[in-house]
Amino acid sequence: MNTVATYLRVPYRAGAIRLSIGTLVLMVLASIIFLPGFLAGENLSNLLAQSTTLVISALGQTFVILTGGLDVSVGSIISVTTAIMTLDMPPFVRVLLCIAVATTFGLVNGYGVARLNVHPIIMTLATMGIGQGLALIILPIPGGRVPDWLSMSVAGSIGPLPNALVWLVVASLVAAWILYRRPFGLYLFAAGGNEFNARMNGVPVERTIMNAYVLSALFACAAGMFLAGRLASGDPKGGAAFGIESVTAAALGGVHLAGGIGSIFGTVVGAAILGLVNNVMNLANVSAFLQSVAKGALLLVLVVSQRRKTIGL
Amino acid sequence: MSMLVEMVGINKSFGATKVLSDVGFSLEPGSVHALMGENGAGKSTLMRILSGVYQPTSGIVRLRGEVVNFRTPKEARLAGVSTVFQEFTLIPNLTVAENMFLGHEPRRADGSIDRAEVIDRSRRLLADVFPQLDPMAIVDTLTVAQQQAVEIAKGLTSNADVFIFDEPTAALNSADVEHLFKVIRDLKGAGKAVVYISHRMNEVFELCDKITVMKDGAWVKTAKAEEFNLHSLVATMVGRELQNFFPSRAGETGDHMLEVSDLRLDVEGPTVQFSVKRGEILGLAGLEGQGQREIMRALVGVESAKSVTVRRRGADSSMRAVNVSSGFSNAISAGIGFIPEDRKQEGLFLRLPIYDNIALGKQLNRSMASVAWRSVSRVRDIIKSLRVAAADPGAPVGKLSGGNQQKVLLGRWLLSGVDILVIEEPTRGVDVGAKAEIYRLLRDFSERGGAVIVSSRELAELIGLCDNILIVHDRKVVGQTPAVGATEESILGTALGSHSTHDQRAAVH
Repeated sequence: MNTVATYLRVPYRAGAIRLSIGTLVLMVLASIIFLPGFLAGENLSNLLAQSTTLVISALGQTFVILTGGLDVSVGSIISVTTAIMTLDMPPFVRVLLCIAVATTFGLVNGYGVARLNVHPIIMTLATMGIGQGLALIILPIPGGRVPDWLSMSVAGSIGPLPNALVWLVVASLVAAWILYRRPFGLYLFAAGGNEFNARMNGVPVERTIMNAYVLSALFACAAGMFLAGRLASGDPKGGAAFGIESVTAAALGGVHLAGGIGSIFGTVVGAAILGLVNNVMNLANVSAFLQSVAKGALLLVLVVSQRRKTIGL
Repeated sequence: MSMLVEMVGINKSFGATKVLSDVGFSLEPGSVHALMGENGAGKSTLMRILSGVYQPTSGIVRLRGEVVNFRTPKEARLAGVSTVFQEFTLIPNLTVAENMFLGHEPRRADGSIDRAEVIDRSRRLLADVFPQLDPMAIVDTLTVAQQQAVEIAKGLTSNADVFIFDEPTAALNSADVEHLFKVIRDLKGAGKAVVYISHRMNEVFELCDKITVMKDGAWVKTAKAEEFNLHSLVATMVGRELQNFFPSRAGETGDHMLEVSDLRLDVEGPTVQFSVKRGEILGLAGLEGQGQREIMRALVGVESAKSVTVRRRGADSSMRAVNVSSGFSNAISAGIGFIPEDRKQEGLFLRLPIYDNIALGKQLNRSMASVAWRSVSRVRDIIKSLRVAAADPGAPVGKLSGGNQQKVLLGRWLLSGVDILVIEEPTRGVDVGAKAEIYRLLRDFSERGGAVIVSSRELAELIGLCDNILIVHDRKVVGQTPAVGATEESILGTALGSHSTHDQRAAVH
């Protein structure tokens, strides 16, 4: 079958994805050469576990950015999810509740942006605040217990394959399937490319934008599940950083914030770059303050060089 | 012969403005039908109704004998009416094939888009008409002619019977025009009906079987193309009397006040040069989109040209260069003001009061940190002298009528003390009564020692208002005429005559 090949192929309108791939390869090589502890099994599984939450939330973020929007409520949805997973209820009820809450957030965001014409940043800033508050109401301090099967599904491995990698791959394939195999995916690119013309051609633009926010929230929900499993507990502020980091990851992977240009593969690469920077600098004992400076500089350099070729052909 | 399309008694109003009244139009299969008229005659509106962009206020559209009511362009396209708009409706980041099938993609059993089918069908459809077009190419990377080909190909995907071309050749070079004509003839040969809107008379006579002329939103005449010649067609299009509300012309003009030379819009393009005298109102005439706007904007530095040299007479009556290529602010310091066509977007601050909008004129070209004194009395004087119809200078400008908004802009430049004014479409969106006042104000400005350069789509306005008229066509000045004695026919004839090289030129003169 050529299906897998289609998923892995560098798609058109993917942005300057080769630049991102090159950066990642160079960084991996440099880490292997200069950091002795990098290839140790423990570090690699740490890296993977740390990056997976980022990858999953950035995948959802990609749908929204492709429409030309932005979803900063992703972090709060992750936090709420970890909080809900510690509630004293039957496990499957907790899962359903998480999904229901995330869907509601996505619908509210999407409705505000697509129908009420609220600016995406304002809309999702508002729901970010609501979500953060909700998480703290449910679980004021980090702690609680999540179902054992959830921790197991994150920590264990199937043969040589760590479970975290399975989470990552499944999430990426689902995102790729939605973007490249569903009419919704084409409409997403069309709405992001030229909203007015998309409408003229009969693309249901409003519904497409709403769906993008719902998908972003659902991916954030999955990312939150993974985080809860990894921590084996809830953390009402554990997701906070991902609101911005998911945007950074997508941008590092060649997704244009103006919409219409980007790819699933690019986002995964971008998230991997960001995860790697975090990991490597921890390993090299770089201070957290300096890490922040380095990440900012990296984003600037990559995005500025992408600007030079608007459409990555 | 039965009609493919019949439009009967079409009326269309936007708010209080009636743009089409009781228009009838019909199309036979296997024919090319030209729709002619001046700018604003209602051609595009009529075609937008046929293609589902607008809905008629009243009237009936029949397609193949059945009454249809298209609510979106997509509905019209699927029913067999395909439109190549002047502004393309393509999505830049999608491929040619994706654009062709957007909104009606072939699906597979699981609901996904059958991409192989999309590419295969586009390749087959393109093979006959545009064999050189790659269905996998991203639209953003194509030339204008290729993008237009994609628009036409979109009509092929839904097997349309009616093709509407709205000024398709405006952006094409002659080789591409040749190919487009071949495509249109092929469509005609295949029994399709084609509507062709163009300002280029020679194209119309070369291509079309029938001609319908519209004027001021109403149907004027439909006849076979052979029954027209260039002269009679232009006369039918214009056919109006000059209204008598223009101020008297300049008694006598002074020295050259502003000289524009070596103005080049394109790298290889022709150079434009002209000058305007003290007391003169100079008009830039021509068909829409022939470069008037670009010339006006380049000479004040609002938009950049490939090259431009502007010199104006200073206080000591020597000519001094104005460095407009580095921006509009240099023009302002040199005493040149600019009033854009789109007052609401580009000229005014709609939510700010009349007072502030005018008082801004006093602050132009001052240092950012200087003190902005409120000069209430001077602004009041200007409001009074312009007769801006508003009791309260604190009222937001957005609430004013078009004519009063134009006066506010004029007031701003009067306050700033410029003596050269460049103004686009001075009476766009201005009702008839206020037009006369605007004309008088412009003439007052020139009589007080100023000079005015004005562009307008309404030739009658230029003829009535100006002292001299430059005729612009194809991004160059092709003629100059005193406004006294000029007619719309003579101006259009000069503009078009410069374009068509063969027999039609003889028909004009």
